[in-house]
Amino acid sequence: MPSTYLWMILALPLLATVIIATVGRKLFPSKCHLPCVAGAVGACVFAVLTLIAVLQSDTGAVETGRDVVWINAGKMTANISLRADGLTAIMLVMVTFIGSLIAIYAAGYMHGDPGYPRFFAAVSGFLFFMLGLVLVNNFILLYACWEGVGLCSYLLIGFWFAKPSAAAAARKAFLVTRLGDIGLFIGILILWQNFGHSLEYDVVFINVKEQYDAHTLDPNLLFWACFCLFVGAAGKSAQFPLHVWLPDAMEGPSPVSALIHAATMVTAGVYLVARCTPLFGLSPNAQMLVAIIGGFTALLAAVIAVTQTDLKRVLAYSTLSQLGYMFLALGSGLGEQKLASLAVMAAIFHLFTHAFFKALLFLGAGSVMHAMHNVIDMREFGGLRKSLPITHWTFLCGAAALAGFPLLSGFWSKDEVLATTYGAWQHGHGAQPIVYGVLFFSALFTAGLTAFYTFRAYFMTFWGDEKLPHGVEHPHESPAIMAWPLRILAVGALLVGVVLGPTHLFQKVIDETWVIQAFPHLQGAHHPNWALMAGSSVIALAGIGLAYLFYVKQPSLADPAITLPSLYDLSQAKFYFDELYELTIVKPMTIFAHVCRIVDAYLLDGVVDLLGQIPAFLGFLVRPVQNGLVQFYALLMALGMAGFALSVLMR
Amino acid sequence: MTPGTLESYLLVGAALFVLGLVGFLTRRNMIIMFLSAEMMLQGVAINLVAFAKFRGDLGGQVLVMFIHTVAACEAAIALALILLLFKRGKSLDVSLWQDLREADQDPIEDEGTPPEPPKPAEFQHLTPAGAEPAKKEAEKVSHA
Amino acid sequence: MSFLFADTARATGFLPFVRENWLLLLPPILGFVGIYALLPRARQTKPLWGGALAAAGLITGGVFLVHSDAVLVERVLFCAFAGLALVAGVMMITQKNPVHAAMSFAMVVLSTCGLFLLQAAPFLMAATIIIYAGAIVVTFLFVIMLAQQDGATNADRLSREPFLASLAGCVLLVALVCILHKAHDTAKIDSVIVSFRQLSEAKNIAQVKRLFGEPSPGTTTPELVVRTHGVIANVDSPVQSDLNNIRHEWNRGDKARIEVIQKHAKNVHVYLEAKRRTTASLGLDDVPRKASTPGHFSPGKLPAENVTGLGRTLFTDYLIAVELAAALLLVATIGAIVIAGRRAEGLR
Repeated sequence: MPSTYLWMILALPLLATVIIATVGRKLFPSKCHLPCVAGAVGACVFAVLTLIAVLQSDTGAVETGRDVVWINAGKMTANISLRADGLTAIMLVMVTFIGSLIAIYAAGYMHGDPGYPRFFAAVSGFLFFMLGLVLVNNFILLYACWEGVGLCSYLLIGFWFAKPSAAAAARKAFLVTRLGDIGLFIGILILWQNFGHSLEYDVVFINVKEQYDAHTLDPNLLFWACFCLFVGAAGKSAQFPLHVWLPDAMEGPSPVSALIHAATMVTAGVYLVARCTPLFGLSPNAQMLVAIIGGFTALLAAVIAVTQTDLKRVLAYSTLSQLGYMFLALGSGLGEQKLASLAVMAAIFHLFTHAFFKALLFLGAGSVMHAMHNVIDMREFGGLRKSLPITHWTFLCGAAALAGFPLLSGFWSKDEVLATTYGAWQHGHGAQPIVYGVLFFSALFTAGLTAFYTFRAYFMTFWGDEKLPHGVEHPHESPAIMAWPLRILAVGALLVGVVLGPTHLFQKVIDETWVIQAFPHLQGAHHPNWALMAGSSVIALAGIGLAYLFYVKQPSLADPAITLPSLYDLSQAKFYFDELYELTIVKPMTIFAHVCRIVDAYLLDGVVDLLGQIPAFLGFLVRPVQNGLVQFYALLMALGMAGFALSVLMR
Repeated sequence: MTPGTLESYLLVGAALFVLGLVGFLTRRNMIIMFLSAEMMLQGVAINLVAFAKFRGDLGGQVLVMFIHTVAACEAAIALALILLLFKRGKSLDVSLWQDLREADQDPIEDEGTPPEPPKPAEFQHLTPAGAEPAKKEAEKVSHA
Repeated sequence: MSFLFADTARATGFLPFVRENWLLLLPPILGFVGIYALLPRARQTKPLWGGALAAAGLITGGVFLVHSDAVLVERVLFCAFAGLALVAGVMMITQKNPVHAAMSFAMVVLSTCGLFLLQAAPFLMAATIIIYAGAIVVTFLFVIMLAQQDGATNADRLSREPFLASLAGCVLLVALVCILHKAHDTAKIDSVIVSFRQLSEAKNIAQVKRLFGEPSPGTTTPELVVRTHGVIANVDSPVQSDLNNIRHEWNRGDKARIEVIQKHAKNVHVYLEAKRRTTASLGLDDVPRKASTPGHFSPGKLPAENVTGLGRTLFTDYLIAVELAAALLLVATIGAIVIAGRRAEGLR
């Protein structure tokens, strides 16, 4: 029964969480990875079964739970309805597969940590919420899962809560994403209010479509609804104004960075926008906004990544950049929807491949950290390719894929993105060609930068003279339990693109997505653009070559501080975004909080204390009655009775 | 038996009940308090017996039997408690037991035993000046 | 309690109440002023004044409140026992010496037993004498003599809050008296009910005229009917037409038909009888006709073998209660032994 698969996919990780959190903590604290891995692998099996079921089904979807009522209040009804179509199935497979590998890796990486059970409980919980997020079929459940992944992310970033920077990073991540979540909630409310008082995706989409066809749709309303949804997506996927939390989130353990802050959770925003393509597709302005924010974030993050010296931060900014790519693709669907299918396909394809190689890179970085005793600053070590051979080769695979090395997976997916943007440039009208043209060239430039900073990190870490941080004598390769996930992911990073991309397998699955089937004219043909491929290959190779030149061949050139000092400083300081936010938001808030505290402590508490004094005073007045003489109590009782009798008589 | 007759009995019962109540509330000797409580029960018993007669229903008398039973139990327990309290406090005064009062309340002090009325002052009888001789004679006679 | 007075128009407020019921208020107030004067206090008035006031309360109560219509002997005995009980009760709560108080209580119990006997409860009389006068009072005396050999103590010489307690007692007694009076006040109905019985049994017009008086041009409504209207106090009552018919017949003078008057007078009489019973609110009619249970007899009458009936009732209708009472006695005995057997520290 395909509908059972959906329940099982959710039930297994949840069961794992419950087991670990209740009995596992006490009974088998050092074996707590077993339920987590079992749950993830089981969910993965069911996810693959679901994918097959989706492909075989006539309707292109598996769904269940529409009759399970969750909330029924007034006009609002929410069901626990689950639904898997092509898009969901891909996300399911990706999340469960990467999640399984990372859980296995973490069993080695986290070995001996005192919070071992807590870690796996949180990871299982995260898997549950993430799978719920992609499986559910209505906005309010999506929101619930959205908050759930946020919670697990918070728990895992602050996993080493004794470390002040980790606690601060967790708080920052939670608060910044909270800003986005508010936007998402407002967006959901707007949709509920205006489109049929329903929260089910399909009802809302069809309603919007009907209003659009009847020309009764207010474009501004739809734009603001999309805008609010995108604010939520931007918060979760760390796009431009709300991007500051993601680099700090690298304070969490490396498997967490790989799973949550590279492969899965941060792509939730991309998923949301892709899922809401029927809305964005009808609002060209909203799509353009998505594209601009995505493109800008991609460029900005890439520029910052060039100068970072912390290996994980380079990868974090690279994640930002790649997420920007995905949004750029989604935003390039054009209002006329000719390219919408292609855009969704490109974004999700890039999401899919990115999950593989970025998880691989983070796990590789974790492996390096593991060997370097938690030192992650690339200036502290170098030339590790001899001592860490497996890590080196797998990292190279990931880096090459990320850089867009021809025929590797990143190449294919990035090419789709560029092709989509190019298409938007070519087919747009009004202001669109200019905007998308600029975005296209910015994306090309970003591709070059990506290749450059990726290999900069690679060369700095693995090439040059062997250099070890203080206190590390003999760097040793990671154990098998960590090495095998690296190998598997490396194979994925190399081959996923070429297997799924040129063969149109991915396109086929995405076409099973209900939204695209329900809106037939969204479908668009996909023709490979050979010239574009060649161009992007050249750019990627040029970036790699430049990195080789700067960091291996002639390291003396590698001091861009001399060549472009101001830009270098800006980039090194992450364009002062943190400081800017500190000044414009955090400081005023702190001052406001102080004012509130004074008002609370002196004004409100004073009033409350005064109110509290009144009963105390009344009590003081009547307290002599309680003199402990039972006879006196009886006298009072008799007097009361007499008063009562008198009042009755007199009435 | 007429309602008027019934009312007379009920009045007597009510009066006994209220007398017992007043006694219970005013007297500080635990024994007398207890006797007052018993008197209240007597008032109720008169009521019940009168109603039994009036309605031709022996249930009222049966109820008085049960009142007696309970009163006997009560007397046993109460006397035991009074004895216990007497052993503790060396007095039957109920004012000794005010421990249930609020923590910061001073105990109520009863006025002490009312002082004996002062005896009329006895002044020394001075010999009246310029007494009559005849009286002197009489005094002598009395002394003798 | 409003249901008791539902059909009487009443003034509200304190003064109207007092004006309306001063006769009822007088005895309790006198009695409790006397008791207040008698209660042991620091500055004691002479017992004579208090005693006089209390006695005045008792006597006025006897005169104003008691209106028994039983036979003379019973009335005399009732007054004797009730008076003795109340006097002994007042003495009990005002005696300084606990021994005297206990003796007064015995007196109360004995007088009460006399009342029991008047109310056809010989077994209860015997039981009360044995249990109270015989057992409980004697036990109390033992305790008093064990604990307090020096006669009156400070605790006996000073009452607690005598004024407030007397006030509470007084108000409660006033309330009880008023309510009882209201519930039993059948005087108005009694004043007309006999006339209507006689009317319904009248043989000729002459007898009717003796009851109603002559019709004259000035009075078209007989005085009896006016009084009856006052008693019924309800224009829509079912006997309204009967009264009108009687008046009509009476106005015909010598030509009045006696059988019509008889018929309507009988209706009114039946109605008034029912009204009298409900006015007394004693609900004689709703005595359940449980002839099968041994404890029930016709109202106002108990059989000669009263004790037999009591025993039969106790051991049929109230069997479980009797068993429980036995268990209660046993538990109380054990409890008393446990409590009193405990030796306080420092004793002996």
